[in-house]
Amino acid sequence: MTAESPEAKILLELRDVRKWFPVKEQGFVGSRQVANIKAVDGVNLEIYKGETLGLVGESGCGKTTTGKVIVKLEVPTTGQILYNGQDIYAFHTKEDEMYFRRNVQMIFQDPYSSLNPRMLVMDIIGEGLDIHEPKMSKRKRDEVVYDLLDRVGLETYHAMRYPHEFSGGQRQRIGIARSLSVNPELVVADEPVSALDVSVQAQILNLMQDLQKQFNLTYIFVAHDLSVIKHVSDRVAVMYLGTIVEYGSNNQVFTSTGHPYTVSLMSAIPRPDPRRKMKRIVLPGEPPSPINVPSGCRFHPRCYKSDGEKCIIEDPPMIELEPGHSVKCHYPEL
Amino acid sequence: MEPLLEVKNLMTHFFTEAGVVEALDGIDLTVYPKESVGIVGESGCGKTQTAYSILRILAQNGQIMDGEILYKGQDLVTLPEAEMRNIRGKEIAMIFQDPMTSLNPVIRIADQMIEVIALHRDVSALEARELAIDALTAVGISEADKRIDEYPHKFSGGMRQRILIARAIALQPSLLIADEPTTALDVTIQAQVLEIFKDMREKFDLAMMLITHNLGVVAELTERVHIFYGGRVAEVGTTFDIFTKPMHPYTIALLESIPSLDVDKGRLATIPGSVPQLINPPKGCRFHPRCRYAKEICSIDRPPMEEKVPGRFVACHFWEEVEISDLAEQVLGHKKKDIKKPK
Repeated sequence: MTAESPEAKILLELRDVRKWFPVKEQGFVGSRQVANIKAVDGVNLEIYKGETLGLVGESGCGKTTTGKVIVKLEVPTTGQILYNGQDIYAFHTKEDEMYFRRNVQMIFQDPYSSLNPRMLVMDIIGEGLDIHEPKMSKRKRDEVVYDLLDRVGLETYHAMRYPHEFSGGQRQRIGIARSLSVNPELVVADEPVSALDVSVQAQILNLMQDLQKQFNLTYIFVAHDLSVIKHVSDRVAVMYLGTIVEYGSNNQVFTSTGHPYTVSLMSAIPRPDPRRKMKRIVLPGEPPSPINVPSGCRFHPRCYKSDGEKCIIEDPPMIELEPGHSVKCHYPEL
Repeated sequence: MEPLLEVKNLMTHFFTEAGVVEALDGIDLTVYPKESVGIVGESGCGKTQTAYSILRILAQNGQIMDGEILYKGQDLVTLPEAEMRNIRGKEIAMIFQDPMTSLNPVIRIADQMIEVIALHRDVSALEARELAIDALTAVGISEADKRIDEYPHKFSGGMRQRILIARAIALQPSLLIADEPTTALDVTIQAQVLEIFKDMREKFDLAMMLITHNLGVVAELTERVHIFYGGRVAEVGTTFDIFTKPMHPYTIALLESIPSLDVDKGRLATIPGSVPQLINPPKGCRFHPRCRYAKEICSIDRPPMEEKVPGRFVACHFWEEVEISDLAEQVLGHKKKDIKKPK
């Protein structure tokens, strides 16, 4: 389960991945590119088999784009993504491509817009099988769908219903069943509980943990909610403005926090405990636009530790504070 | 002390094609002057509709069926519409949930603020502009005298929320209703806005009604809490009591089911099922189908809202039997035995 065990196998690796979206200006004749939105700007990540990697950050930090690049919904501008050691953008055969597509699935944020309203639940869940197991008999396909419905806590008769007949939590269960229909290895879950009520959120988080054990899944869990990330993750990567600023095991990131951004994020969260009198670090300003990334350390304009010199000029390298725990900062805590 | 706002047995129904939605089914709620009160609940529990009923801005198919809304002793339910206009904004101001859609995108900030101020306060347009600039400065918008002439799209979500707070404050209302004011914002921006709320309350002696599902925000900003469930109030108490000695099974379940940054909860406790549909709500106690303490009576009789301990109102038949689980104990750091029950 954890990445620390020496036999842990790297399932997926991101090497200096960038995803820039061009900003175009409509000119007199045609359009020309005037800038780039640097949504993902040099991300290195390793995901071990069987673990849950939490990817956390504020809106616009590039966490969703990183997830999309991993499942090939977006093509990275530069960089490499290796799945079982193979570059996912340079497969030699159709079989390799299909193998990858089948083994890497996604759960989407909004359970209301991610299910086709005109398809029966049966076909929503079974669609992946139609593509990857075209020779499967109708009866076998039904069996697989019923089994999945059962595993995600729905009933067999739900198969013949349409998405609008379900609540948000139930829809998210359908989305989860769909992602598992082709028996994947890796599931990228993009904010799977952020649209749900608190009492339903706990149900879905528990379900995802149970399914991880049953199906030997590896999760990349993308979320903005630090408490959810702390609850589900084995390892955590904190993103800010397109880069990973801190990376380590759950314990390392949350108890011996190294990056000033992570420190302030944690202090910013209001705790449901009126006895707790905490000193809050309120970050000034807002995350800058990914079109105009600040010089030096991207976080320096908002950082309480910025020295006003080195931080403005020099982009800090990722330094390892302790084995497995890295921070992109000139003056890390600790 | 006389309450500033006292809602008694408020019933609001919505008439839809699918049937009558009993959105509010006997809400009791009080806000004292200068007090900050939290309204907590999940989606569809009636927290926003309570606010809309108070201001009488319900959707066309919604109607207040019964109850009183006493504001400074005056019943808002029966108040003529013309007089209601003097209450809205000037006496009771409201900040709506989504800062991105609460400002008109084609009108300058200045005009949107001056219009409201000039309408309610006896000032010239120029004075209104000065007041607007002061209010914007107070919520931390720099160069407010220049930025006031810009259009909403030039401002980020956090900045727009500040503008909305400024617009509400500029009329010096006695009560500010804030509906999920930080839900649409990132945590670091939320932290900034929370500080502004604290600041504003100190400066203007505001009473506040904070509607939210975020228990952390409530713990930080309010003195008293009403827990809503299925169009009714489940529990009322001081914020401290609600979080340290919850008495209603729903409140306890809610506190148990949220992941925590400070305590490792292992497996989360869950509340089975989902929030009730209010077209055909459960009979008796509306929480009974999901409650682990439910007995036969719970599906028949509605539990009365009673003051069980001074200052604590709980609507539950079996409130004395409710135990705090080990998990909640861990989170709350105490045992149920500590709670004194009146004999």
